[in-house]
Amino acid sequence: MPVFVEDPAQFSKPRLKSELIAHNVTLPAVESKKQVYVELYLKHIVQKSAADFSSDEEDDDVVEVQDSQDFEEEEKDPEMLDPSVLTDDKLKTTLLKYGVEAGPIVATTRSIYERKLQRLLKPAQPRQNGGTGDADQYSDSEGEEETGSQQGSPETVSLMEENLHVDMWFESRIPLSSSGPEIKRGNNRSSNQGPCPRPYWQEAATVDKYTMTNRSLFITPKTSLFKRQIKEPVTDVLMEMFPETEPTPTGIAATRRRPIKGAAGRPVQFKYPDLPASPMTLQRWAVEPRLVPLWVQILVFFIVACLLYLIYASMEDGLANPFVALLDNLSMETETEGLSLQAEP
Amino acid sequence: MSTTSQKHRDFVAEPMGDKPVTALSGIGEVLGNKLEEQGFDRAFVVLGQYLLLRKDGELFTEWLKDTSGANTRNATSCSQCLREWCDSFL
Repeated sequence: MPVFVEDPAQFSKPRLKSELIAHNVTLPAVESKKQVYVELYLKHIVQKSAADFSSDEEDDDVVEVQDSQDFEEEEKDPEMLDPSVLTDDKLKTTLLKYGVEAGPIVATTRSIYERKLQRLLKPAQPRQNGGTGDADQYSDSEGEEETGSQQGSPETVSLMEENLHVDMWFESRIPLSSSGPEIKRGNNRSSNQGPCPRPYWQEAATVDKYTMTNRSLFITPKTSLFKRQIKEPVTDVLMEMFPETEPTPTGIAATRRRPIKGAAGRPVQFKYPDLPASPMTLQRWAVEPRLVPLWVQILVFFIVACLLYLIYASMEDGLANPFVALLDNLSMETETEGLSLQAEP
Repeated sequence: MSTTSQKHRDFVAEPMGDKPVTALSGIGEVLGNKLEEQGFDRAFVVLGQYLLLRKDGELFTEWLKDTSGANTRNATSCSQCLREWCDSFL
C-alpha cells in the first residue's frame, strides 16, 4: 500500500491517530503520549508499507505478492465492517471514520445508518464493473459522498484524494491496448498520491489488481451498480411519466423532450391519469362538495331572516312610538286648548 | 422543486402543534395511514425522526421511502417542508 516514507515522529498526534484508525489499529488510551502512537504507527503501518513498496519494481513476481496482499485486505474488510453485526456504538464510530457524523442510533434510525455504511463500504464497485471510462456517469455517487463530507470535515482530505485517484485511474486506463508495464506505471503514480490509505484505497487497489491481471476492461459486464444507480431514480418519477421508455445505460434518454413531440399533433402517449393529483387539488375535491352544506344554508337563511325581523321590529318600535307620543301630545294640547277656551268665557 | 404546494406553505406558516401526519406536505392519506400504522401518527413524531437523523434530508427521504413507500418526489417534498419548518420555528 502506498505510503510516503516519512518520519512518523514528525507527525502531529491527530494525524497519527487518523492514520492508525485508517489502518484499523486499535487506538491506545486517550491520555497516552505521542510516543505510544508513534510506536504503534511504526509497528503496524510502516511494516506494511515497506512490504508494499517493493511492488514498485515492475516484476511479475512482486505483482503477485501485492495481489495476495490485496486479497487479504479485501477479505479482512467486509468481515470487520458488516454493519448488521456492529453494536450501536461501533456503528457510529465506523461511520465517523467515513466522515459521516451519525446521529443517535436507535431502533428507527439504525437501519438507515447501516445502509449508509454499506454504501460507503463499496463505493468502488461500479468502477470495477462499469466498462466505459465515462467520468460524468459517476457524478451521482460522488455527489453523495460530497454531501456526506460536508458533515465530517476530517474526511474531506481523503475524498479529495479519492477524486484525484479516480482521475489518475482513468488516465491509467487510457492505454488499454497495451498491457502490463504502462498500466502498472499508472498505478504506481497514483499510489504515490497520499499517505492516508482509507478503505477507498483498498477498493481502488482491487481495481488496480484487476487491471494488472490484464483482464480486458471492455469485456467486463457493465451491469450492476451503475445501471442500478440510473434505474433507481427512473423508477421513481420518470418511469411514472414515461412508462414505455426503456432505461438506457447512459440514462440520457430519460430526459428527452417528449412533451414537445406530443404537442406537435400526435396524441400524447404517456398516461396523464396516473399522474398523482397534487395535494392541493385533492383537498379541493374533498372540500368542494360540502363547501356550503344544506344545514348551513338553512341556518344562514334563518339568521338573516331573524336579523331582518329584529331590524323591522326595532324600526317599528322606533317609528311607532314617536308617532304615538306625538299624536298623544297633539290630542292633549287640543284638549287643554279646548278646556282653556271653554274656561275663558 | 421550484415551487411549493399550498399544503407546504400551510404547514410551514405556523407551529405544527398537534397536526396529524397528513398535514405534512407530500404525505397524503395513503402514506399517512402507513405511517400511522407504524406509530408515526402526528407530524411532530415525524419531525422527531427527522431530527434524529440530524436533519439530513438525504437520509430522511430514504427513511420515508422505506417506511411509507413514498416516492422520491413525495419524500423530498416532506423533507423540504420539515427543513423549512425547522428553519423558522426551531
